[in-house]
Amino acid sequence: MNIHEYQAKKILSQYGIKIPKGGIAYTPLEAKKVASKVSFRGPWMLKAQIQSGARNKGYFLEKGSGRRGGIRLIKSRRDIEKNAEQMLGSTLVTIQTGPKGKLVSRIYVEAYNKIEHIFYAGMVIDRVKAEVTLLVASTKDEDISQIAINNPEKILKINLDLNKEVSAEQVKKVMEFLKLKPKSSRSLETYINGMHRAFIDYDATMIETNPVGVMKNGELVALDAKMSFDDNALYRHPEISRLQDDYEASERELQASKYRFGYSEFNGSIGCIVNGDGIALAAMDALRAKGIGTACFLNVKGGVDKDKIASGIKIIMTNPRVEGILINILGGFLRCNLIADGVISAASEVGLNVPLVIRFEGTNKEEAKEILERSKLPLIMADTMEDAINKLVKAMEEND
Amino acid sequence: MSILVNNKTKVICQGVTGTQATFHIRRSLDYGTKVVGGVTPGKGGETHLGLPVFNTVKEAKETTGANASVMYVPAPYVKSAFKEAVEAELDLVVCIADGVPIKDMIEIKAMLKDSPTKLIGPNTPGIITPGEARLGIFPENIHHRGNIGVVSRSSTLTYEAVLETTRAGEGQSTVIGLGDDMLIGIDFIDAIERFNQDKDTKAIVMIGQLGGTFEEVAAKYYKDLVSKKPIIGFVAGNAVPFGHKMGYAGDIISKGHISAQDKKDAMEDAGIIVVDNINDIHKELAQLAS
Repeated sequence: MNIHEYQAKKILSQYGIKIPKGGIAYTPLEAKKVASKVSFRGPWMLKAQIQSGARNKGYFLEKGSGRRGGIRLIKSRRDIEKNAEQMLGSTLVTIQTGPKGKLVSRIYVEAYNKIEHIFYAGMVIDRVKAEVTLLVASTKDEDISQIAINNPEKILKINLDLNKEVSAEQVKKVMEFLKLKPKSSRSLETYINGMHRAFIDYDATMIETNPVGVMKNGELVALDAKMSFDDNALYRHPEISRLQDDYEASERELQASKYRFGYSEFNGSIGCIVNGDGIALAAMDALRAKGIGTACFLNVKGGVDKDKIASGIKIIMTNPRVEGILINILGGFLRCNLIADGVISAASEVGLNVPLVIRFEGTNKEEAKEILERSKLPLIMADTMEDAINKLVKAMEEND
Repeated sequence: MSILVNNKTKVICQGVTGTQATFHIRRSLDYGTKVVGGVTPGKGGETHLGLPVFNTVKEAKETTGANASVMYVPAPYVKSAFKEAVEAELDLVVCIADGVPIKDMIEIKAMLKDSPTKLIGPNTPGIITPGEARLGIFPENIHHRGNIGVVSRSSTLTYEAVLETTRAGEGQSTVIGLGDDMLIGIDFIDAIERFNQDKDTKAIVMIGQLGGTFEEVAAKYYKDLVSKKPIIGFVAGNAVPFGHKMGYAGDIISKGHISAQDKKDAMEDAGIIVVDNINDIHKELAQLAS
């Protein structure tokens, strides 16, 4: 799960990390009020709160939203309302949102902090070493996305011990790498420890502050912040779960997540129901080899609840993009008969108007086949994934 | 021969009295797996599925001589259950649960560092040596004794890979699901190393997928091996578009965005036979045999 910049900043500030004075606004008038509260004279920053990187280089789809991106430096008080109006309720497209963009429903109004220079600081999990890793890089000349691809050696990685504070040597290493002046040393230590503690306390999977500003007195200030959390640990953090922004997910994604199923949407025409990410990916690959795209896939994982499975299948059946359904289940933990029951129950509620091919293998496969045969639904049975895809392609051609 | 488990492996089940455990342990017993007991705190002294139930792993090990555990405990309790297994110094723990918090896994990985215990999983179908031992949730009817070692990160594709060996007229020496999660116990290298030394394994099927760098690391290891058995590999996830995401930190740790194709390239460069369609594995296996 991801949260917005202003929410992440609030968390980080609780750990001693300095952030600019700011407040959230849902209307242009609120933006004006917040602006006068956070700074008397300005300048101000207006920042679109969508969960994406590179907002400053993004653009708004609406013509009336002006040419500027989702992060705007405003020097004059009278420009605040106008810019807020252009941004609020408009759709911001960035390289990370995809062409559809994301709706801006709130903006963060901040006092502009004068800084001497900037750098990048992130924290992430190193999968191979199974440790939390701090990443820093100077972003004076090149932005971090470019450095990551072209000059990964310009990024310093430091693995941190889960239960310890950052060591003096580690701080020194970062100081030297970023060529910071000695007066930043204490602030840097606080900054790294704050990020690390926030990361651990909240079961984060990613924290990114891009950029961190270095002020004249050497102090560091987080000018941006992103945080992602481990969905599997949200049960320990109800205060984070509450921050879930429903605007960021589609209606169907929300429904699927309610049942703890995996659900992803793409631009194709096939709806896949599977019981693992691997089999979903393999099915997408095999479909693409036939020149067909996937509309969505639902991963029911090791589901054991018949009603939840039926609800999940309904999500696929009611997706308007879907012109054919492929059910590919390799039952281990999951019993195939539950899927068969789910298909019948979902089809009886919402109807089945597109070809549906089912391939079962594994636990309770024969029982599942019998259930489907008894139902008299127009389903097509297949023996292998290859067979299933071939049959689906043929059925869709005939359906046209 | 086989790797990690066989008909001599004495298995206990942690969380044995739960519904899923009951369903699957009964099947493992029917399969011939030497399950010698179960552990459910507070239910020590009871008998379940004809097996003695203990309060702790230590007690279970002392009484039954068990050397492996398969745990069906729910994700929030995995860390403490695993700690018990490590303290009892079991050789192998198979963790089926899906949804173990990453932080708990970081701590579990730290426990593993100085321990003789090996972990398979979490979020795995487990490990099966056909005809000898089933620790996990495998549909046992698709497996046959044979000479192909199967190792996969994806649970469901493990079954697909097994079916491919059958289509080629081959059976499996041992089948391991490494687990779908970000952090896992043993990885491809452990499995390849063991299969390479196992005299009954003549070839290996390796199934990777998008995410992480496990495949690249394994490819590098395989490339440098002097004597090695052939590997047929597949990586799922080529059709996934450069998706919606947030931030760059994930890319940085893996040196830019790694696609399924990058993984395939690394594997091919290491001498692994890589197929584009998982249902082509049987053809490559048949080719190897002839």
